[in-house]
Order: sequence, then structure tokens, then C-alpha cells
Amino acid sequence: MNNDVLQRIKETEFFKELSEDALKAVVDSSLLQKYEPGDVLMRKGDEALSVFVILEGHLKIVTTDAKGDEIIINKVNPGETLGELSLVDERPRSAGVVALEYVEALELTKQAFFELLDKRFDVALGILRGFSSRLRFSTTYIEKVIDWSQKTADGDYSFLDYTQPLLNRVGSDDDKAAQLLSAFYSMVHKVRAREEGLKQQVERLTFEIDQERRKKEFEEITGTEFYARLKEQAQTIRKKRQSS
Amino acid sequence: MSDGKIVSIHSFRGGTGKSNTTANLAAQVAMTGKRVGVVDTDIQSPGIHVLFGLDEQKMGKTLNDFLHGTASIREVGLRVGDNPREGEGRSQLKGKDLFLFPSSINGAEISKILKEGIDFNLLNEGLQTAISEFNLDYLFIDTHPGLNEETLLSIATSDVLIIILRPDQQDVQGTAVTVDIARSLDVPNLLLLVNKALPKHDASAIKADIEAKFEATVTSVLPLSFDIAENASKDLFSLSHPDHEWSKALKQVVPFILNAK
Repeated sequence: MNNDVLQRIKETEFFKELSEDALKAVVDSSLLQKYEPGDVLMRKGDEALSVFVILEGHLKIVTTDAKGDEIIINKVNPGETLGELSLVDERPRSAGVVALEYVEALELTKQAFFELLDKRFDVALGILRGFSSRLRFSTTYIEKVIDWSQKTADGDYSFLDYTQPLLNRVGSDDDKAAQLLSAFYSMVHKVRAREEGLKQQVERLTFEIDQERRKKEFEEITGTEFYARLKEQAQTIRKKRQSS
Repeated sequence: MSDGKIVSIHSFRGGTGKSNTTANLAAQVAMTGKRVGVVDTDIQSPGIHVLFGLDEQKMGKTLNDFLHGTASIREVGLRVGDNPREGEGRSQLKGKDLFLFPSSINGAEISKILKEGIDFNLLNEGLQTAISEFNLDYLFIDTHPGLNEETLLSIATSDVLIIILRPDQQDVQGTAVTVDIARSLDVPNLLLLVNKALPKHDASAIKADIEAKFEATVTSVLPLSFDIAENASKDLFSLSHPDHEWSKALKQVVPFILNAK
């Protein structure tokens, strides 16, 4: 295997913390696989037996809907890994993967992976560091989303203006937490725009007083004997209170 | 002799949130350190006592007993902050001087007074006695909606009249008549308060429009709030939710009362 392969797996999230020497050990335990368009790498529900590093070509991640028709959930690009989580937590495949074109991938079987972890402490530590760094990265972004959610709920959109530079960095990252942050940011942007639009549309209420009715009702109340007496009493009471 | 002021809170129609607003305003004025009384003269359908956490069992003598001549005003008034079953908001009234003069909620008592009629001179005397005996700075009167005789009496004797209205055609029409009556009875301070304004309506435009129509001050425009519908009758909302939009708008009314001459 050549240096291109080494460089490729070095760039993956899963193996990025491994030293050159540890990477060589991984490559030596792996098999180079070639797939034609339409070849199936994994089926939904299968036992997870390998992790794949895509070296060349694109693939689709598929599942089936209630009627049994195929739905494409996502696309896989060169440089991405497939199935690394299932290898560790031993859950069956959650979706199927099919090659869209000619694909070259490095396959590391579960057995080879576990033997490698057993023999090479530096490989095990590198994989663990990779997981830790992803977790830390995700947590930071989740905290950010919580903070922004609270601000948005309070109608404070000021963060939209001072977090612009951070987002340019997010765009080049394939981490899901970063994608969430980016989607959240653009959502709040749109919410603010809609809210401002609504403010301009605020309805103007107008009231009309029926002056004739007003006069008639006033005269009905003030025309009574009770009212005349009350008016007189009120004047007396006010005078008395002012003088006291 | 006390120079306490009578503040009547009135609305032309029911459902404007009058009792709730009266109770909260009285509490906010008491929070500034003033000595404040609240009289429920809505004898036909009393309700303000609930906001102060009072039920029939805790009520001693009532305004009805005073009007029947079987109790003095001193016996009717009770300090709200002393109430042991205070809610979270109401507990802030501890040590403040806020007194409630409740009406009876007993059905027989209510029909008795409605049948016999109210002696207006006696009621007026009672209000004046409440001010002097309790040394009150402000006596708030929660009136019955509409313009019946007891309401006209409380308008006639008030130093400050606050008319609460919703921003709708019927309330505006009815308020117009009340404003004319208040002017005819020489009420020295006439204030308007808009409650239950919808968020889609521009509050400052409502204020400007109504002020122009009546040539009277609109002290504040309070928003319609589901939070109040859920909480209000259990506690004094402006104390339990001081930072709520409604509470903030309500507190804007306080200086108008304190500055009334």
C-alpha cells in the first residue's frame, strides 16, 4: 500500500489521532477492496463485521420505507469511514450501503481490529483519543446551541452578529454537531427576519364613537333625580374633604 | 385627619380584568411603602378577596355587616400581609400596610343587601372612616361594572378614577359615557388603562388613538396574557411574575397614582 492510502486514513475522524507507525499497522491488517456500481457493502440489520475507509468513489446510505421502496438517507464521500461505531458497540447495521460508482475502500475486519487493539497499545490509545476529541467537540457545540436557544426564547438575537466568523469554519467541517450548530444559526436568522417582517405588519386598530348614542346615554343617567342629588352631595363631600 | 385619596377602578363592561388589575395596583402602591386599603364595593358579585388569598372562613366581619349596622369599619378591615396562607408573590406584602375591606360572599347576605338597598350616605361615611381610622394614603375601590347607583356614588367620591377598557368598539363606546359622567361629577384625576391588547396590535398607536378620542391620559396598555389566565386568581401576578410584560406595563400606572393631586 502506498503513501496515498496512509494519507487518506490519516485524514479520517476515526484514525486521525494515530501516529505514522500505528497507521502503518492498521493498513497492514487491512484489505484493499474494490466495488463496482451497485455493489452492496453492507445490508440493514447485518452483524457489524468490518470498518471501511473510503479511498475513492461515492456511495449511498439507504433504508426502506413502509412500502419496501428504497430511500436514500445520505451520501458517503472519499475520506469518510463507515461502520466504526457499530464495530465498537456491536449493534447491527442501521442502514444499507451501496456503491454509486467504482469504489476503492480499505476494509479492517472486526477480528483484525480487535487483534490490533490487543497487540498495539498506541493504536488503541489513538482510537480512544479520536472518540474523546469528537465527544468534546460535540459537547462544545451542544452547549452553544443551548445558549443560543435560551437567547432566542428571550428574543435576544445579538449572537447572530458576533458569531459570524465561527460559522465560516463550521462550513468545512463534516461533524454532525457542527452541522446542527450551522442549521440552528441559519434557522434563527430566518426567525428574526420573519419576526421583523411581522412587526411591520402590525395591525392598526381604529375605533369610532357613536356620538349620538353617547349623548343619549349620558342624558339618561344624568336626567334622574338621583343623579342631581348625587352631584350636589359630591360637591359637598369634596369641599368638606378639602377643608379638613 | 388623614388626607388619603380614594382611587376608584371602573369598567363599563365585565371581563376587563378589573378586580385583578385593582388588586395588583393596590399591592404595587403598598410595595412603595404607602398605606393602602382595598374596598370591594362589588356587593352583587364580590371577587377581589380571592386574589388576596382569602376564603369565606378567613373572612370575619364584612362590608355588609357595616352597612347593616352590626360592625364598625375597624372590624371589617384586615391586613393582607398577615394572612398565613400567602402565595409566593403575596408573601412580599409581609410588613407592608395593605388592608382589605371585603364584601360578603354569602348568598343570603348578598340578596339581603340587594333587597334592602344600600344606604349611600352610610357607605360614603364608611369609606371616609376607613381612610381616617387606618390612616390610609390610598383607598382603592373595586366597583361593579356598568353605571348603576353604587358605581356612580364611588365615581362621585373619588379623587382618582381609573377606567379600564379593552381595545374594542363596545368598550370604547361605553367608556365615552363614563368619561362624560366623571367630568360632570368633577373627578379631579381621570385616567384610562387599556387591558387585554392583542400582540398584533400596536400598543403605542392604541394609546395615541384613545388619548385623542377622550382627551384623557392612557396610563398604560397591558397585553392579553394566557399566563395571567392561568395564574392570576391564585396569586398577585405582578408580585409572583415581576418581569412579565403585563407586570411591567401595570407598574407604569403606579407613578400616575402617586402623583395625582
